[in-house]
Order: sequence, then C-alpha cells, then structure tokens
Amino acid sequence: MFKYIIKRILMLIPIMLGVMVIIFALKVVTPGDPVDQILGESATEEQREAKREELGLNDPIIVQFVDYVTGVVRLDFGESYRTGEPVLQELLPRLEISIVICFGAVAIGSVIGVILGIVSALKKYTWVDSLVLTISMFFTSIPAFCVALVLIYIFSVNLGLLPATGIDTPAGFVLPMVVVGLSSLSNYTRITRSSMLEVISQDYIRTARAKGQKEGVIVRRHALRNAIIPVAAAIGNQMGHQLGGALIIETVFGIPGIGKYISDAIIARNYPSVLGGVLLLAFLFTLINLIVDISFLIIDPRLKKTLIAGNVKKAPRKLAVQGGK
Amino acid sequence: MEQKDKLLEVKNLVVHYETDEQVVEAVNNISFHLGKGEVLGLVGETGAGKTTIALSLMGLLPKPQGHVIQGSIILEGEELTNKTNKEMQKIRGNKVSMIFQDPMTALNPVKPVGEQIAEVIRLHQHVSKKDALTKAMDMLKLVGIIPERYKDYPHQFSGGMKQRIIIAIALACEPELLIADEPTTALDVTIQAQILELMKNLQRENGTSMIMITHDFGVVADICDRCAVVYAGEIVEQGSIEQIFDNPKHPYTVALFGSIPSLDKDVDRLHVIPGLVCDPSDLPQYCSFYDRCSEKCEGCHSCDPKAVEIEPGHFVKCLKYTQGGK
Repeated sequence: MFKYIIKRILMLIPIMLGVMVIIFALKVVTPGDPVDQILGESATEEQREAKREELGLNDPIIVQFVDYVTGVVRLDFGESYRTGEPVLQELLPRLEISIVICFGAVAIGSVIGVILGIVSALKKYTWVDSLVLTISMFFTSIPAFCVALVLIYIFSVNLGLLPATGIDTPAGFVLPMVVVGLSSLSNYTRITRSSMLEVISQDYIRTARAKGQKEGVIVRRHALRNAIIPVAAAIGNQMGHQLGGALIIETVFGIPGIGKYISDAIIARNYPSVLGGVLLLAFLFTLINLIVDISFLIIDPRLKKTLIAGNVKKAPRKLAVQGGK
Repeated sequence: MEQKDKLLEVKNLVVHYETDEQVVEAVNNISFHLGKGEVLGLVGETGAGKTTIALSLMGLLPKPQGHVIQGSIILEGEELTNKTNKEMQKIRGNKVSMIFQDPMTALNPVKPVGEQIAEVIRLHQHVSKKDALTKAMDMLKLVGIIPERYKDYPHQFSGGMKQRIIIAIALACEPELLIADEPTTALDVTIQAQILELMKNLQRENGTSMIMITHDFGVVADICDRCAVVYAGEIVEQGSIEQIFDNPKHPYTVALFGSIPSLDKDVDRLHVIPGLVCDPSDLPQYCSFYDRCSEKCEGCHSCDPKAVEIEPGHFVKCLKYTQGGK
C-alpha cells in the first residue's frame, strides 16, 4: 500500500513536466505580445525591446522553459507581468477560496445526489423515481448562472438572508457552493441510481435478506459500500472540473477565485500567472485523483490485490520440466 | 405421519410471477410436508420452480412480481404466507435459513467473512459484538476453516470454502429448517462430495430438517430421506427414497432415471427426454408432461390428473394411476 502511494506520487513529476511543456507550447503559438499589454500603445520600440530583454522573452524558448522549471522546483513561479508580485503569492489566497467553494459544492452535490440516487433506485419505475430524476436533471440542464440569479433573487433580494455578492462573511460562501453543487446533482444521482440498482440485485443482498436483516440496514451496510465506488470516481472528476471551471459563478458572485484569475491572465497575456495557475490546478487535479484511487483501496478490499499486487513484477513462469510438485 | 412430528406443511401452494406482459405460473398447487430432522429432496429440471418454492418458504419472492396466489405454508403451527416482512425477518436466518446456489456471489465482497457470520448471530441472539464474533469463529471451525481467517475477505477464499462459509452463516443460529438450493451445483466434483459430507454431518448432529433442492439424483440418494420430483411447478411424484428409486411410477421420473449413466450397463447413448419443459407462462389445461410423455393415452389430453397415493407415502400425479388405483 505504502509503496503504491509513493509510486503514484512519483508519477506526478512526469505529469507536471508534460503540463508545463504543453502550456509553454501554447505560449509560443498564440499570437500577441505581452509587452503591448504591459507598456501600452504609446511605448517606443526601444522601451519594448528593453522590457522584452528584462522579462527574458528574447531568450530561446528552451532556455525560458528550463529557467521556468528550475524556478518551479524552488517554488518560484515568476512574477506577474501586471502587478510585479510573485505569482504564487497572488495565487494561493485565490486558490484557497476556490478550494473552499469546490469542496463545499462537492459535499452538497454528492450528499444530496447520493441520497436522491438511493431513493430513486429503491423506488425504481415509480413516480418518486421520475420526480427525483427530473429534479436533478433540471438543475444540471439550466445554466448555473440562471440558478445563481434566481437564488440571489430569493435569498438575498427578497429574504435578505444571504449576501448577493462577495465573500466578506462566511455566509457569502453559501450561495456559490449551493449553485455549483446543484449543477452537478444529476451526475451523482444517476451514477448512484444505476450503481445501486446493480448492487441491490446481487446475490449477497439476497443473502443478507435471508439472514433476516432489515431493509434499511441492508441498504446502508451491504449495498451502499459496494455501490459507492463509481460515485467516488465521479467526485474526483467533478472536483478537478469545478476547481478551475467555476469562472461564471465566480463572476456572478464577484468572488476572487482562481478561475477568474486565470481567465483574466489569459486575456492580458500574463504568461507567468497563466502558467502558475494552470500548473497548480493540474497538480491539485492529479492529487485529488490519487486520493480517490487510494479511497478505492479502502472501500473495496479486492482492489488491493489487483491494484497493488498487479504492479509487482511477476517472477518468470517456470516451464514444467520437473515432474509434478 | 403424526401431526406433532411435522415441522413444515405446505398445502396447495400456488406462486405466480406477474409482469406487464405475462403471468408466469411458477408453482402450481404444490403440497408436501417435512418432519423434524427429515431431509426432503426437491428434484427437477432447470425452471421447474424449485427455487421459487424455496423463496416462497423464506418469504423472499422477488418483489413486486412474485405473489403467493393461494395455499398455506405452516411452520411449527405458524402460518407464514400472511406474515408481514417484519415478522418474516425474525424467522429468516433464525428458524429457517437458506444456502444459495452460487457461493462465488453470495457473500458481500467488501466485508470480512467473520463479520458476515456474526451479523446473523447479532440479529437473532442477544449477544455482544465480541461474543458474536467468537461464535462466528466457532462456526468457521465447525465448517472446517481456520478460525483465525475470520478477518479475511471473500475473494481470499476458494469456491468450496466460500460455500462452507455460507453454510456457517446458515447454521449459525441453529435453524429448525435449512433450505439448500443446489448447494453443490457450482462446485467441482471433489468439493461437491466434501460439502455434501459436511452438510450431512451437521444435519445429523443438530437434527436440522432440510430441504435439498437439486437436479442431481446422486445427491438425493446420498443425503435425503424422502424425495419429490418437480415438473413445471408441480410435484409429479413424491415418496421415500426407496419408493422413488426402486419403484418410480410417473413417466417423467422413469425417464429421468433412464437418462442417468449406469455403471453396470453398457449403453452407447444415454436416454433423453424429447422436447422441452413447457413454457410456464402458457401452461396447458391438461397434464403438463403430456407433450413429452412416452406413455400418454387419449384421456391424458382432456384432464389434469390429481395426485394419488399408490402406496403409503408414495404419491403419483398421473392418469394411469388415477384410473388404475381407483
């Protein structure tokens, strides 16, 4: 188990290098000059040239890449072109906000989704089932910002319970979390439902019934743990997706999150910020996936055998030369 | 048989599976009884309704399709067919337990086996978690598995060992009645023999009554006291092992014995029963074996015969004996 985790962490290195190569390639092929954005239209050619030299933009791309990688190893992501602040310093507080919202959203979405999924699986083909699926599909089908605006109208404008924008108070986090969570609801509901339906028809559920176990306990103790694996995988994916992808919600609620930071940086050709942001997201995404994979091992003991033992090199099979053992 | 020795009595049981398209008549008017400590074999082809009989005894018919249409199941004087699911939960695993056909899938893959045995003990006996686990370890020992393996998961056991664990679960609360639904079908022959031997010993030691569902006459001969031959949801012949094996009467039973390879006689080809079991969603009004029967006569096509007792305890459901006997 420990060896497996170490192995997986070491695998992060090539993944990160790959991500950096791709982003650097984008930097080369995309048109536009960051110097224009920094100095403005009125700057002279000499000033531009001096700025380029200062930023290292005239160096061969390989040199730039190596410089960047060595910087990253020392946790130096460069300085933002726009503010001159170290990128990491700008990123971390925003990342923190994004992570809080993302975790909250995933918690809300997955808990409600899993419960709805179980209910609809147990009541399959009834009106309850249809109702649950319709509700969860509804929140996924309509754009998140619509839900956001409606919720702001209800809870902020009419009831005055929660702030409409900003995250100055903890209450400010509630609406963004709910909106992002609801948008992924049907994902969890449908995965839980189908997984639950499959598990509930398994022989070991019949065995549990034959023991005289109560239905509720069968669902909680026997079925759920078997049915939750695909849901855990979905949670991992959803987290990665929502961390950087909550741009619209961040805009609607006026939250300084990482999605908005990166998109602003892209428009301004603020390469160090883009690179640093994307790199951090990629790192988090792979880290979350690692955690999800490890959680599989805890949920399903069978995987320990295939995942861990499967990686061990098998001893070359001996041909049966000698007589039977 | 005297009334007080009777553990289980099934009378005129009819079970249907109802779907939107069709009604499947899985069990049609079956009656049998089981004495204390007795072993009854239910023999029949795949789809004859053997498992449905077992599931209706357990109150585990698949919902919402499965229905007991009529008849009664009386266990120790208690009527089971009109019990609620909650009342049945107290009986299942406690008074009646069941061993299923496929040991590979009958255990929960994410729970240690000891916990799965302890679960049934905790449900029906007022013991602490620790005592239940100790008892579970005793059960493991009883079925021939090292008790220290209680922490292991089902995938770490072989098929035969899993079936042993399932037997341990079924017997943990010392049930009055054990229903074994083809417990050896999924196992290879040597393991089959071991498992049968184990079940036979445990049954004798505890005096458990048992219903052995199988399509293997060898198993029946090995373990059962009485035997009922099931065809298309009906018991076509029922009697003691001697009566059925030495003196089979119903053409179906005779044909079944004819299709068993014999050690003494040298035959090129085994005898086969022509045709297929009739579709249980479209059963004929007349004798359901009519189309495949080699001894049918004209009268067979016009009526569905009733079972008659041709000698004490030996029932046959065939027109030949209905006419001849009376």
